[in-house]
Amino acid sequence: MRPFKYSKTSEASKAVSIVSGSPKAQFLAGGTNILDLMKEDVERPDQLVDITRLQINQVTTLASVGGKAGVKLGALGKNTEAANHPLVRQQFPVLSQAILAGASAQIRNMATNGGNLNQRTRCPYFYEVSMPCNKREPGSGCSALKGINRMHAIFGWSENCVAVHPSDMCVALAALDAKVEVQGAKGKRSIDFKDYHRLPGDQPEKDNTLEHGELITAIDLPGNSFNKSYYLKIRDRASYAFALVSVAALLETNGSTIRRASIALGGVAHKPWRAYEAEKFLAGKSATAENFRQAAELEMKQAKTLAHNEFKIELGVRAIVQALNQALES
Amino acid sequence: MNEPKNIGQGLDRIDGLLKVTGAANYATDYKIKNVAYGVIFKSTIAAGEIATIDLSEAEKLPGILTIITHKNAPTLNVKGGIRGGALLQGPKIEFFGQHIGVVVAETFEQARYAAQLVKVTYRNGEGRVDFEKLAKEAELPKEKDKADKRRGDVDAAMSSSEVTIDAVYETPIEHHQPMEPHSTIAVWEGDKLTLYNGSQIVNGAQSAAAATLNIPPANVRIITPYIGGGFGSKGGQWANLVLTAVAAKMINRPVKLALARQQMFNSVGLRQKNVQRMRLAATKDGQLTALAHETVTHTASDAEFVEPCGDCSKLMYATPNSLITYRVFPMNVMLPTYTRGPGKSTGSFALESAMDELAHKLNMDPIELRIKNEPAKDPSNDKPWSSRTTVQCLQDGAKAFGWSKRNMKPGVTMEGDYLVGYGVAAGTYPARQRDTSALVKLSRKNNEVEAIVELAASDLGTGTFTILAQTAADALGIPMDKVAIVIGDSQLPPAAGSVGSVGAASFANAVNDGCIKITDELIAKSGKQFFKRPTAREMMLTEKLASFESRVDAKPPAEAENYSVHSFNANFAEVWVHKTTGTIKVQRMLAVTGAGKILNPKTARSQIIGGNVWGLGMALMEESVLDPRYGNFVTRSLADYHVPSNLDIGTIDTIFIDEDDKVPNKLGIKGIGEVGIVGVAAAIANAIFNATGKRVRDLPITPDKLI
Ligand SMILES: Cc1cc2nc3c(=O)[nH]c(=O)nc-3n(C[C@H](O)[C@H](O)[C@H](O)COP(=O)(O)OP(=O)(O)OC[C@H]3O[C@@H](n4cnc5c(N)ncnc54)[C@H](O)[C@@H]3O)c2cc1C
Repeated sequence: MRPFKYSKTSEASKAVSIVSGSPKAQFLAGGTNILDLMKEDVERPDQLVDITRLQINQVTTLASVGGKAGVKLGALGKNTEAANHPLVRQQFPVLSQAILAGASAQIRNMATNGGNLNQRTRCPYFYEVSMPCNKREPGSGCSALKGINRMHAIFGWSENCVAVHPSDMCVALAALDAKVEVQGAKGKRSIDFKDYHRLPGDQPEKDNTLEHGELITAIDLPGNSFNKSYYLKIRDRASYAFALVSVAALLETNGSTIRRASIALGGVAHKPWRAYEAEKFLAGKSATAENFRQAAELEMKQAKTLAHNEFKIELGVRAIVQALNQALES
Repeated sequence: MNEPKNIGQGLDRIDGLLKVTGAANYATDYKIKNVAYGVIFKSTIAAGEIATIDLSEAEKLPGILTIITHKNAPTLNVKGGIRGGALLQGPKIEFFGQHIGVVVAETFEQARYAAQLVKVTYRNGEGRVDFEKLAKEAELPKEKDKADKRRGDVDAAMSSSEVTIDAVYETPIEHHQPMEPHSTIAVWEGDKLTLYNGSQIVNGAQSAAAATLNIPPANVRIITPYIGGGFGSKGGQWANLVLTAVAAKMINRPVKLALARQQMFNSVGLRQKNVQRMRLAATKDGQLTALAHETVTHTASDAEFVEPCGDCSKLMYATPNSLITYRVFPMNVMLPTYTRGPGKSTGSFALESAMDELAHKLNMDPIELRIKNEPAKDPSNDKPWSSRTTVQCLQDGAKAFGWSKRNMKPGVTMEGDYLVGYGVAAGTYPARQRDTSALVKLSRKNNEVEAIVELAASDLGTGTFTILAQTAADALGIPMDKVAIVIGDSQLPPAAGSVGSVGAASFANAVNDGCIKITDELIAKSGKQFFKRPTAREMMLTEKLASFESRVDAKPPAEAENYSVHSFNANFAEVWVHKTTGTIKVQRMLAVTGAGKILNPKTARSQIIGGNVWGLGMALMEESVLDPRYGNFVTRSLADYHVPSNLDIGTIDTIFIDEDDKVPNKLGIKGIGEVGIVGVAAAIANAIFNATGKRVRDLPITPDKLI
């Protein structure tokens, strides 16, 4: 691990100004991702600003927009607290399920909500510093494109990068149309979740649309009218594994009619993948297995597979159907 | 022999408290003054040569004591018994991740940082890393016992028999990944070297280190009282051991060197990939007429190791026609080595899956098929069995498991959204005792007699300390808490290793022999006659001796050679497969084991459960994936290389068959170290077939293979 400067502060503005003013500085939250990456020499910050003392770690009620109150997750709150908080469990059970499907209890106890959004891909070539990787070293090439890519993207990838975003929590946040509240040198702004993470395009080194030095202060979960939901994660072992495919499914139903669906997929793209095609198809239809299947197939039609991940199409279809079925039963 | 008071009792491990409180010292836990830290750096190509190594940036850092590369490393004896090469003897690169240097620094962090700053350029060679492409070059192994074994005419039987199976089963590269990564502290005092190092074979580590360093074995001391698992990877020793000693010599200071978890994938051996073609032929009523087991595998570029995948096939079933073959080709990968149940765990996946396929084709219960083909003697050498419990394991297991509830028709039994299936497999592992010496020391204070028993055995964490204390206590007539077992030091009387499931049989018999011998000597010394043989304790008391000691050099009984001596087992699994997503849950497993005398049912049960868990990992998740372009493992940490998590493991029950077989050795021990994994992968794969109707012949069976 390369030597780095360490500082800590309990003022958000100070943290922002230090990191903004220093191109190789980074925030340190739970450290469960950044420290691993530093030990492996993948991330090489010259300075870490410890933000765990910032008082933005609470789960609070968010003022209602059009009738339904939402919830605000402080960025420095722990994943475990978010998952177990009564406000989250009652109003956004899909988020609670998604968080608990990730990592292990020990890691979730350390991991923060903000850090979860900014965790980096698990692509093994990103970690293998002797190998080309555009995400780690722009312009060096993508080793996974023609390499071992069973775990890689089937949506929205480019020749430059086929990595997937590893988070479970973010899949639920995408389906919930969360908003990411950030504070930067130029002030505060709110980013719609669908615009938060990026597709790789020709800049795979950029995972998201944050400016350098911008700090996530909170994640807002706006109130919604979904009455059914489920998070399904399919993985190679029962716990402590990243998703082959995961699905956050939300339905607003009226009797057996679906008024609105919101579906996001994990393990398939550089960002949590909103299944807009499937959602569009389901709106106004009745909640039947056949409609679920058609919606899922419609969505997966756009997939482009790599040498080792063709199975994700059929698995994706089945996972969407299964998640919708389980949502319906919820 | 004295009345057994402790042997056969399910006692807690006597080292348990030390371990859960952190008081047990593993290799690098020893507090050594003035110790420096070594960090290994590795090649990033699979084949070729180092062109340049630029150390200038690394050397400039504070705290750096030396950097060892092939340019300044001393000449070592590469044939000294260290496995896997990588001893920094030249610029040649044989596999991705080969050690190419060691940084030694005042602190671990300094050494690791410097290692990252070393710049290496290579002259790339032609890497041989693509198994599929190279497999056709496979040739007969050099090792004699891997020669073709042919009885009768398999081809003829295949073409004339009523029912046949011809299928290929694949098992991937796996890694041992014990909890404790390989780590060493090396301390020189003049020309005497002490190595704190996890070693399954204490004397083996000593002789390999000495020979490789070109010094007499008497100058090398290995200390290894506690080992955090090894599974075969700490049986032979690897370059990291000797390089720690080299580093310590070069800076004239003790050095500590631990491999990082990621480095474990290309430093200490692996289980090789095996492609096994099975052919079975049978009559309509299920009598086997032929059995062929042909394995193609890879080895390292410069040394040969071939897992004996045909070991179960050569003796499990009676058949007039049999063929066991091996073919191997070199690849630029780390040298394969012994891995829990070598050949038996992997080979039984092929054999016992094929038997299940045959049973299905015959519309016969797979247990019935196995029992029908039970051989009266060992078909591979015509020797009588010392004892064989296959049939009893299968029958007792079937009863306990509720096998009668199994639906013969696959793919139709459901529980909610899950397809449910039952599977069974049988297995075996050879039982052996190896030469081991032991020193028994008795001392008396007033009415208290205490014993210290010393031997250069090792305890992998399985309970060796405990079973030896039980054995000695019974044989001496002394309470267990007055017996101290001292092991894990090469200065003690030489012993076999904790390898090949020989540990318990070799160590416990030596201890037992030593205790009998010391009792005999005490009786002889007293010059008295006794109606009832007194215990050593009684002799120490009546003769008022302050201390007495005796050493024994125990050997396996000669007549064991005239028998085929094996442990046998049967594994049962109930597996649930989600009907849409292919997710697999192993709800319960049952292991029935006939392994002779069980010294401690509690530690034995743990050992079998451990074997079953590893078998589950083998069946469902373990796979080291090689990138065929570069020869690197893409599964480079335990986040990518999956072993079972708690949630993957359902109920595991164990049954031990009560066996009294004194052919293998005086105490009737057959060994349970490895038999627990044999057959497990097949039992699970067979249950998955029974659940889904899908036969998966390449491990691991992940959800994508079931949709
Ligand atoms: C073995 C293992 C298994 C895992 N399995 C899963 C899994 O199955 N599913 C899953 O979803 N996750 C999984 N994780 C990932 C885990 O969820 C993340 O590591 C964790 O959420 C990161 O949070 P942190 O607070 O520790 O972030 P850190 O490591 O502290 O930071 C990560 C990144 O985020 C930045 N950052 C942190 N906080 C902020 C902020 N407030 N504003 C701006 N930038 C910030 C940091 O600068 C850094 O770049 C796993 C991790 C491990 C180690």
